[in-house]
Amino acid sequence: MGLHLVIGNKNYSSWSLRPWIALRVANIPFDETVIPLYEPESPGQILKFSPAGKVPILIDGDVRVWESLAILEYLAERFPAAGLWPKDAAARAHARAIAHEMHAGFAALRSECSMNMWRPPAKRDLSGDAKADVKRIDDIWSGARARFAADGPFLFGAFSAADAMYAPVVSRFHTYAIDVGPESRAYMGAVMALPAWREWFGAALKEPWVMRNNEVDWPEVKRIQA
Amino acid sequence: MGLHLVIGNKNYSSWSMRPWIALKAAGIPFDETLIPFDAPDFKARLAKISGTGKVPVLIDGDAHVWESLAILEYAAEKFPQARLWPTDSAARAHARAIANEMHAGFLPLRRHLPMNMQRPAETRHLTSEAAVNVKRVDAMWSDCRARFGKGGPFLFGTFTAADAMYAPIVSRFHTYGVEGSAPARAYMEAVMALPAWKEWETAALKEEWVVADDEVDWPEVKRVKS
Repeated sequence: MGLHLVIGNKNYSSWSLRPWIALRVANIPFDETVIPLYEPESPGQILKFSPAGKVPILIDGDVRVWESLAILEYLAERFPAAGLWPKDAAARAHARAIAHEMHAGFAALRSECSMNMWRPPAKRDLSGDAKADVKRIDDIWSGARARFAADGPFLFGAFSAADAMYAPVVSRFHTYAIDVGPESRAYMGAVMALPAWREWFGAALKEPWVMRNNEVDWPEVKRIQA
Repeated sequence: MGLHLVIGNKNYSSWSMRPWIALKAAGIPFDETLIPFDAPDFKARLAKISGTGKVPVLIDGDAHVWESLAILEYAAEKFPQARLWPTDSAARAHARAIANEMHAGFLPLRRHLPMNMQRPAETRHLTSEAAVNVKRVDAMWSDCRARFGKGGPFLFGTFTAADAMYAPIVSRFHTYGVEGSAPARAYMEAVMALPAWKEWETAALKEEWVVADDEVDWPEVKRVKS
């Protein structure tokens, strides 16, 4: 029995994108179940898979792992050849620090710029707190690129779990046309050029479910044509 | 040159307590620097050593690691004999899931019941959102104790990084008289009986700094007799 990943809507579920894109980029085969969030049946469906009641959830035989970063740690251990963390210990420590910073932080950015892949890119006014989040992320990306990324276009050269953690932020920055430095723009271009990204994006555009709390132009729902 | 942990006030800094108690319980030697939250140069000093400008930060030669759970991962890798994660891979996956759930979650509980070791234990009425968090934490502890806790009194038997992540919750539940199930109460007793806990608590009780935002009885500041 192989891996099974339970996720939410591809258009909106930023947490789900993280393990999904890591699995795809690393070429690890898995089945997926999509549970559209905030539908009447969603909580019951999710609780069948995890007592925490949140997606994503990875099922591997008897093992059930929730929390996106815990799933990434599990995958990094189970598939060492995938190189999901940088090999160098100092780079790996840095990768985990910024991955955890994402996992527990940037609340202002997350609430003002919800992931919404089908929204055509357009600017939106940000609060001071969200602007501070943007600046910190721009510094994190350009800092990692300058120090650790000689071998490739991602934060630590090759694609790592840290890139998976920030993939939804790339989507948000793109959708809300957020200004960042040239290093960060190049990095965003590399992430959005991944075949795994294109695959997720293509599926997101086709989804029928609209979540009004994540549509910042509500009552208008702006959509890129699939 | 050994490990150096930079922390905030022991009375209030729940994030600082996590790596500190893990290193102590595991018998890993380290130096510590405490920078009180109200120090005028708090931000300036932290900006130089921590990516986020926040405590805790672990310094190990050239490596600077911030975010409590990233520090625990770093220590677990560097000192494998300390067994900061369970040795069984399914148990380890579960431990990481609950550790990450703590790291990114339980905001209502954290806001309503700030860590404050000097406050005498007195029941505080819970908001409904905080009560949901309490129920989830209790269920998680009881489940871990039943499924993984055979080898000792902690969540996974012996003391692990998951216990370190929940140590400040134990303190909050104790301080605010939160009612727990029998397994949860027994677990809390085991954590509070650790010599490392006693050492931290003793130091916390001697601190004279007052953070008004964390004093729920404000303008009264209630203090246990030390």
